[in-house]
Amino acid sequence: MTDGVVRDQNGNLSKQIGKYKVSVIREKCIAAASCVAIAPGVFKLDEEQIATVISQDGNDDETKLLAAQSCPTAAIVVIDTTTGKQVWPLIE
Amino acid sequence: MPTLLPPKQYTAKLADKTVYNPKFERYSFELTEPNKLEFTAGQYVSMAITNEGHRRSWSIASSPEVDHGFELLIDPKPMGIGTKYLQNLKLGDEVKLLAPLGQFVIDDSGVEQAIVFVATGVGVTPFRAMILDLLQLKNDKREITLHWGLRHVEEMIWQDEFQELAQNYKNFHFHPVISKASPEWPLCRGRVTDCLSIHELPANAGYYLCGRETMIEDVTNLLTTKSVARERIHREKFY
Repeated sequence: MTDGVVRDQNGNLSKQIGKYKVSVIREKCIAAASCVAIAPGVFKLDEEQIATVISQDGNDDETKLLAAQSCPTAAIVVIDTTTGKQVWPLIE
Repeated sequence: MPTLLPPKQYTAKLADKTVYNPKFERYSFELTEPNKLEFTAGQYVSMAITNEGHRRSWSIASSPEVDHGFELLIDPKPMGIGTKYLQNLKLGDEVKLLAPLGQFVIDDSGVEQAIVFVATGVGVTPFRAMILDLLQLKNDKREITLHWGLRHVEEMIWQDEFQELAQNYKNFHFHPVISKASPEWPLCRGRVTDCLSIHELPANAGYYLCGRETMIEDVTNLLTTKSVARERIHREKFY
């Protein structure tokens, strides 16, 4: 059981990468680009000015979740790959 | 596209609240930590509003010249959780936000020979910051026009400010458009597209649209028929 914290081989803390998988609901995207600003290693706007995932490992999980939470239209879905459960948006 | 700074986490305190009318409320925040915010006019903040991770975004209404705080303008009518969060704040309450965010900023390539802002309702917010920045900070000499659509003249705010700017800066023009205007209303009536249709729409201008999606689509279509290139039309949907 981990709390999302990982350590490198020397025991130093490093931020978790790869537990969260993100995807974009294209129809919801309004090109506000907060995801791009927060997690530029994961998101960019494509030719149609719609957010797209360029890499799941470009930023740590905490940053990916923050990018999803910052999306004004809840267009970014975050799945915890270890449980298969949707982390964001919250399922009410 | 100018170089935009990456966002940072901030804390700020509510310093002032002004209820202009049932349509608009202004919230002024003073930054706590860090105590300085650099942003480009047109950008927005993302504020944490619940402990579960919900956030809401609001365009910055104040000029970038004011870097120790920022102002937000909201339309409280939808009464979503963001509005309720702000309305429940007391003076001095602390908020957490990410800023600055967004790419809806003035094109700095030099291609746009004039600037036309088109807004409906609270969509005027980023344009106030842009207009103050262009006229007062950058001393921009291009023709700058604001077309602002509202339903009722009683909703209008900042008219004194915009009119004073128009008097002091001869290249700035303010065109309020009232859709449900009384017969006495002397200026543009109807939708912003109606007002735009009777004004010159130069193809070499940059057009910045902000507000309802239907307005943005209608104005985009109008501009396209006037041979304005799609790259000259910048859009920010409020919802």
